[in-house]
Amino acid sequence: MLAMDQGVVEEWLSEFKTLPDSAVSNYASSLKDKGALVPALYKVIRENYSDLLEPVCHQLFEFYRSGEPQLQRFTLQFLPELLWSLLSVSAARDPHTSGCIEALLLGIYNLEIVDKDGQSKVLSFTVPSLSKPSVYHEPSAIGSIALTEGALANHGLSRVVYSGPHLQRETFTAQNRFEVLTFLLLCYNAALSYMTSTSLQSLCQLSSRVCICGYPRQHLRRYKGISARLTVTSDFLVQLITGIHYALCNGEVELGSKALDDVLYRAQLELFPEALLVGNAIKSSLHGAALKSNNKEGARSIQVEITPTSSRISRNAVTSLSIRGHRWKRHESDAALGGVGIPEISVTGVSGERMPNGDSLRLRPDGDTLGAASEVSLDPRGHDSSTRSQEVRRQKSNNKASFLS
Amino acid sequence: MTARKSGSRLETELERCRSECQWDKIPELVRQLSAKLISNDDLGELLLGECKLQTYLKENPIKQGASPRGPRPKLVEVRKHLTAALDRGNLKADYLQEASLLMAKLCYVEGEYRDALGHYSRVNMDDMQLVGAPVYRLSMIAEAYATKGLCLEKVPAVSPSLSNKNTSSPMSNRNTVDREQEIITCYEKSGDIALLYLQEAEKVCLVIFFLMFSPICALPSLSDLELGYFLETGLQRAHVIHFKNGNLTRGVGRFREILRAVENRTTQSLRMTIARQLAEILLRGMCEQSYWSPLEDPPTVSPLDDPTRQGQAHSKNYSLSRRPRVYSGENLFCPQENTEEALLLLLISESMANRDAVLSRIPEHNNDRIISLQSASVVYDLLTIALGRRGQYEMLSECLERAMKFAFEEFHLWYQLALSLMAAGKSARAVKVLKECIRLKPDEPTIPLLAVKLCIGPLHWLDEGECFAKMVIDMGEKAVEFRAKGYLAIGLVYSLKATDASLRSTQEEYQRKALGAFQRSLAQSLSPTDHLAAFYLALQLAVSRQIPEALGYVRQALQLQGDDVHSLHLLALLLSAQKHYHDALNIIEMALSEYPENFNLLYTKVKLESMCRGPEEALLTCKHMLQIWKSFYNLTNPSDSGRGSSLLDRAIADRRQLNAMTLPDFSDPETGSVHATSIAASRVEQALSEVASSLQSSAPKQGPMHPWMTLAQIWLHAAEVYTSMSKPAEATACTQEAANLFPTSHNVLYMRGQIAELRGNLDEAKRWYEEALSINPTHVKTMQRLGLILHQLQRYSLSEKVLRDAVQVNSTAHDVWNSLGEVLQAQGNAAAATECFLTALELEASSPILPFTIIPRAL
Repeated sequence: MLAMDQGVVEEWLSEFKTLPDSAVSNYASSLKDKGALVPALYKVIRENYSDLLEPVCHQLFEFYRSGEPQLQRFTLQFLPELLWSLLSVSAARDPHTSGCIEALLLGIYNLEIVDKDGQSKVLSFTVPSLSKPSVYHEPSAIGSIALTEGALANHGLSRVVYSGPHLQRETFTAQNRFEVLTFLLLCYNAALSYMTSTSLQSLCQLSSRVCICGYPRQHLRRYKGISARLTVTSDFLVQLITGIHYALCNGEVELGSKALDDVLYRAQLELFPEALLVGNAIKSSLHGAALKSNNKEGARSIQVEITPTSSRISRNAVTSLSIRGHRWKRHESDAALGGVGIPEISVTGVSGERMPNGDSLRLRPDGDTLGAASEVSLDPRGHDSSTRSQEVRRQKSNNKASFLS
Repeated sequence: MTARKSGSRLETELERCRSECQWDKIPELVRQLSAKLISNDDLGELLLGECKLQTYLKENPIKQGASPRGPRPKLVEVRKHLTAALDRGNLKADYLQEASLLMAKLCYVEGEYRDALGHYSRVNMDDMQLVGAPVYRLSMIAEAYATKGLCLEKVPAVSPSLSNKNTSSPMSNRNTVDREQEIITCYEKSGDIALLYLQEAEKVCLVIFFLMFSPICALPSLSDLELGYFLETGLQRAHVIHFKNGNLTRGVGRFREILRAVENRTTQSLRMTIARQLAEILLRGMCEQSYWSPLEDPPTVSPLDDPTRQGQAHSKNYSLSRRPRVYSGENLFCPQENTEEALLLLLISESMANRDAVLSRIPEHNNDRIISLQSASVVYDLLTIALGRRGQYEMLSECLERAMKFAFEEFHLWYQLALSLMAAGKSARAVKVLKECIRLKPDEPTIPLLAVKLCIGPLHWLDEGECFAKMVIDMGEKAVEFRAKGYLAIGLVYSLKATDASLRSTQEEYQRKALGAFQRSLAQSLSPTDHLAAFYLALQLAVSRQIPEALGYVRQALQLQGDDVHSLHLLALLLSAQKHYHDALNIIEMALSEYPENFNLLYTKVKLESMCRGPEEALLTCKHMLQIWKSFYNLTNPSDSGRGSSLLDRAIADRRQLNAMTLPDFSDPETGSVHATSIAASRVEQALSEVASSLQSSAPKQGPMHPWMTLAQIWLHAAEVYTSMSKPAEATACTQEAANLFPTSHNVLYMRGQIAELRGNLDEAKRWYEEALSINPTHVKTMQRLGLILHQLQRYSLSEKVLRDAVQVNSTAHDVWNSLGEVLQAQGNAAAATECFLTALELEASSPILPFTIIPRAL
C-alpha cells in the first residue's frame, strides 16, 4: 500500500471523529469529491492484513449507524468487496479470521433488521391484482380473469411478506452465514441506483468467484485465489442475480454477462430452480436488447424507440380474443339439421378456398378488427356500407357453411 | 328554412366525416355545400385541400425515421386549394386557423420546415380552444404540435439573427437547452391532446352507435382510427427524447402520464408497449431507494438522471385547458415500490399479450404467431424477474401456466414453467412438465437431474428417479460435468430403495448397486473438490456397517468441505459405532457451534449425553431445544400462516383443529428418512404442504406441519430420557404434549407402551404396541418390544414371528437379533439361538447410537 493512500485513509479516519453533528450532512455530500479515498479504501479491504482494516471497518460502521442516507450508501458501496473478503477467508480456513469485517457486516445486519423503534422489521409488498382498479387500469377493461386458486386468494389486495422478521445475530455460523449475507445483499440491491460502477464491478466479480471457485470453470476464468468450493444458497444467488441484472443494464456489459453465466452455471450444478428461473429470464429478456457498454461514468443504457401503435398481428389470424368474441352458430345449425352431428369447428376460420377475396382481406392495414368487430357487433341490423362488417358476417357464414357441409 | 336546416345537417355530416377520417365522402359533400351558398366556396377549398392531403398521406404513409422528400406532384393541387382558402380571407377564424395548420402540415410533408414554422407562428396554437372543440379539430391540433416539434428538430437550433449577435458558447448552449425544452413541450402537448382526441372520438362513436343505432356509423370505423405518423410521433417522441438525454425521471413521468389516461381501442397496443417498457425501466434501472410512486412528485435530484446534464427541468411546465381523462375513483391501487409497479404493469401487459395469442397453426400465420409469442415471452420473462425477486413463485407458476397457450414446442416457456412449479413446491406437476422439457431438449443434463432431485426428495418416486438418473448417465461425453452428478443421483435412488426394500436379498442388492454408483461418481468427478460423492459413499458404507472404510471417506469429505453439517454428523455417528462416545459428543458439539439450530444434531446430542454424562445433561439439552424451537418459530414469517400471528400464538387455538384432522405421521425420529410404509401415511402431509406452501418464499420447502413435527419429536426425546431415568410420571407428561399434537402417531403410542412397561403393566404395554403397529406395521422398535412382551407372556411362537418380521425389515437391528435369540433359546432351539446371539454381538459392535439413516439423503 502506498504511503499516499495510507495518508488519505488516515485523514478520512481522523476527520469524521472531530465532526460536529450539525456538519454531518454537508460532510456526507462532500465525500464524493475525495477522488483518491474510495480506491484507497478498496485497497485496505483487499489487503486483509492491513493495520488500517480495523479502524476502517469501525468507521464504515459509524457511517452506517449515523442514519444519514448518503453515509449509509458510502458504506454500502463496499459491501460486495467485504462479502468476498469474508467468504474467501472462511473458505480458505485461514486462521487469521477477519473479525472486524464480520463485526461490520453483523452490525449492519442487526441495524437493518429492526425499524427505528427497535422492533423487528418485516419487509412486505402488495401483490397487485387486476381485479381491483388501479392508477393504470379498470378491471372491466381487462376482461375475464382466470378464476384460479391464486386469483381467489389474492382477491382484494394482500400484502405479502418477502423478508423478515429476522433474528438478531451475534456471530457468524455456517448455518446463519448465508441468511445474513442474503439479507445484506437485499439492502445493497435496494440502493443499486446509487452505486458506483466500481462497486457494481466488484459485485460482478464477487458473483463469478463465489460461483466458480473449486469447479472446472475456474480454470477457464483463470482465477487463482482460492480453490475450495463455497457453499451457496439459492436465495443468495437470486439476490446476486438481481444486482448483476442492474449492472448489466447500466454499463457493465462484459463483467455482468460473465457473472450471469457463472451464476447460472453454478445454479445448474446445484439444481437450484429459483436461481435458474430468474437467471434464464434475464438472459432471455436481454437476448435481443443491444446493451451499451459504459463509456463514461453514469451513462445509462436504457433507450426506447418509437414503436408502431397498430397491432402487428394480422387481423385474420385466430387469436384468443377472436375466439372469445366468436359466436359459434351451434344452436342454429343444430336446429337446422335437427341436432345431427357436432359442428366442425374451423379454428382457422378463414381458409383460402372458402374465401375468394381473401387477399383483399390480408392487404388491409392492421388492427384488431376481426376480433373486435365480432365481439361487439351485437346488432344484426348493421347493414351498412362498410365492407369490413360484411367480411365479418361472411366469415361467420363461412363457418356456417362448414358446419353444413 | 329548409335550406338552412339542410345546411346545418350538412355541416354535421361534414364534421362527422372529418372526425372519422372518411375522406372519400368529402368531395361529394363539398359539392352539396357549394350548391347552398357562394360563401361556402372557401370552406370547400379548405375541405378539398384537407381531404386530398390526408388521402395522399394515407396512400403514402411517412415511415418513422424517414424524412419527407421534397415537393410531390400530387400535392400541387392541395397547395392550390389551401392557398385559395387562405388568400381570400373570407373564412371564419376557426377555419382560417385550420387552413393555416393544414398548410403548415403540407409544408412539412414537402420538407419546407421553415415555411411550416412560419405558418405555425401565425396561428397561436396555445389559444386554440380545446373545450367544446369538434373531435376532428382536437386531432388537428395534436398533429400540429407534433409537426411543429418535428420541424423544430430539423431546423438548426440557433437562428441566424441570434448567432450573429451572440457567438459566446454559454449563451448558445443555453439556447440549445431552451430549444430542446420547446421541442419537448410541443410533443408533450401533442401527446396529451392526442389522447384526449382518441378518448373523445371513441365516446362520440359509441354514443352514436348505442343510442341512435345509426346504421351509418358502424363500429368497425372505430378501429379505422389509426394514429398515423404525426400522432404516433406526438405520443412517443417526448419520452424517446427524455431517455436519449438520460433524463430518466421525466421519461418515466411521461410514460406514467400516458398510462394513466383512460385507455381506448386505439391506444391499447401503445399502452401494452409502454407498460412493458416502463416495467423494464423499473426493473433494470431503478431500485427501492430511487423509486417514487406515480402519485408523488419526482425527486429533485435523482441518481437516475445523467449527471452531466444537470439543470434539466424535472416536471412539465405547461398547462392545457383540457386534459385527457385519467383513471380515478376511490381506493385506486397505487404502487409503493418499483417491483410492485412493475408487476402491475406486467400483469396489464400480460392480459393484453395473452389476448393476442395467435392460436391457429396454419403456415400463413407463422409470422403472426412468432410476433405474438415474442411479445408475450418478453412479458413473461419480466414477470419472472419481478416475482422471483420477491420470492412469489406460487403466483409465478400460475402466470406461466397461462403462457402455455403459446408454448407448443417452445422450450423456454416449458422450462420456466417447470422451474416455477418446482420453486413453488408443486413437485408432481413439475416432474410432468420436466418430462416435456426433456422431450424438447433431450441432451440437456440439468433437466433430468432436476427431475431426480424431486423424485428423491419430496415425491419419493424412486422408480421414476432411476429412469431420469439413467438418462443423465447415458448422455455420455456431452455432459461430462454432470456425469458425476448422474451417478450420485442413481446411487441415492438405490440407497433409498435399499432402505425401503423388505427382502434382505433385495436390500443387499440395492446397497451393492448404490456403493458402486457412489464409487463411480467419486471417480467421475473431474475435480477432486466435490465432497458430496465422498460423503454419500461414506454414508452408504456406514449403512452396510463397513465402519473403518466409511471413516476414511467421511474424513476425505470433511477435508473438502470442513463445515458440512451432514459429514460432521456422520463422523459423530461413526465414532459412536466404534463406541468412542466422548469423541462423538465432542464432534457433535463442534458441529453445533456452527449449526446451533440443527435439530438433527441435537437429537443425537441428547442420546450421547444420556450415555456419557447422564440423563440430567440430556434433559438440559431437551430444554434448550424447546427454547430454540420457540425463538425459531415464534418469529415465523407471518405470511406462512396467512393470519399474521406467530405460530406459538396459534398453537393453542389450532390444537382442536389439529386433533380433528387425520394427521400424517411425522418422519420417524429413529430412522430419519422415511420408510416405505410411513410414506403412505405421509402422502397426506405432502398434499397438504403442496397446497399450503403457496406463500412461502425462501428455501426450506417443508410443509406447514414441519414445526409441529419438530416439537413433537423434542417432547418424545425428553420422554425417552425420563423413561431411562425411571420417571414414568414425567415421561407421561412429555408424551402427552406430543400426543396433543399428533395423537395417532406410532411414535407416541410406542412411547406410551414403554411407559406402561416401566410401570409393569404388560397388558397395557402390549395394547399400545399393537396400536402402534396397526398404524405403522414396520416400526422395528415396536416390534422388538412387542416380541419381548410376548416372550414374557410365554407366547413364544407369536413372539418369534414378530421378531422375525422385524429382522426382515431391518437386518441390522442388533437388539432384535438378541431378543430373537432369547425366544429361540426359550423354545429350546439352541443352535439357532446361538447364531442369533452371534449376529447380535457382531452387529452391536458396529451399531451407532442412532441409525445412520437419520442423515437425510437428497440431491
